[in-house]
Amino acid sequence: MASQVLPQALHMIPRNQVQPFNPVKNRGFSAFLSRGPSPLTTSKVSVSGFHSKFPVGSSFSCFARRGFVVRAESNPEGEGEAEGNENGVEEPEMKAKAEAEVEGEGEGEDEAEEEKPKEPRKPRIKLGDIMGILNKRAIEASDKERPTPDLRTGDIVEIKLEVPENRRRLSVYKGIVISKQNAGIHTTIRIRRIIAGIGVEIVFPVYSPNIKEIKVVKHRKVRRARLYYLRDKLPRLSTFK
Amino acid sequence: MRTVLKVVDNSGAKKVMCIQALKGKKGARLGDTIIASVKEAMPNGKVKKGKVVYGVVVRAAMQRGRCDGSEVRFDDNAVVLVDKQGQPIGTRVFGPVPHELRQKKHVKILTLAEHIA
Repeated sequence: MASQVLPQALHMIPRNQVQPFNPVKNRGFSAFLSRGPSPLTTSKVSVSGFHSKFPVGSSFSCFARRGFVVRAESNPEGEGEAEGNENGVEEPEMKAKAEAEVEGEGEGEDEAEEEKPKEPRKPRIKLGDIMGILNKRAIEASDKERPTPDLRTGDIVEIKLEVPENRRRLSVYKGIVISKQNAGIHTTIRIRRIIAGIGVEIVFPVYSPNIKEIKVVKHRKVRRARLYYLRDKLPRLSTFK
Repeated sequence: MRTVLKVVDNSGAKKVMCIQALKGKKGARLGDTIIASVKEAMPNGKVKKGKVVYGVVVRAAMQRGRCDGSEVRFDDNAVVLVDKQGQPIGTRVFGPVPHELRQKKHVKILTLAEHIA
């Protein structure tokens, strides 16, 4: 990818985020940059931290205008390090494909510069975004099997749960949502209800595969995000038929 | 130790004080068995005040995690008196009980219960 440097022995470290270049000579360069683009391969670039290396095939004046710092470094070791750093982080098949792309791209860059169409620059994935992306994917996967309604504090919900211990039928839990903790795939809601005279609070992970159905039956107007005050109030307020 | 628990069966005791948790270094939790001393009892009951009995914790204000990631907690601490073999002394159990008891093999208590939470 961008870290694959041409045989020339110069590495560029930009001081600011690189914009796609306009000059003809740099067309290949920008296309080259923007190839990284599919989320996984882009993460490869940013993770290694070597995304600052750019192929040199263009005039130095263009780079100078962008404020790059040019450093002479011997190439093969630099490339080797880049490979080594990225190895541990990425998925092998994407990397191999990207590398093959990149190497072909790198070698033929000078010739291909003129023919490459301009691609829109796709955003890079930063290291801090990875958990968010994984969580979103897990939530989408669970939503495909069972859609989860939008839950808020104060909703009176009915949950049908399959308990492996009971094995007979689905257990039904009804109650008011007194809190919702957002944590990606482990988003939980706390349901409170008075059962047989005793208050019971149960915490359910919303995206659990054991939950067969969540239904919002009613909604009560509340002015808080956590309704812990219900514990001290009359049982009548937590009773739901 | 020294926790006063409510007795929720009709064995005659009203309140017991825990004097030993049979399993667990840090104390007994939901579903565990304890040794308790009866502190308050009904006048005509099977157990009298001052008797040392075994009990099974059926409700605890401390949340107990389940293997699917859910947690359950009750509003009070309650116990059902049992004998050494684990059979309940009383003939009725009041209030909800968790289904953790099934795994602890307290099936008799589950069948007597009003509601399984």
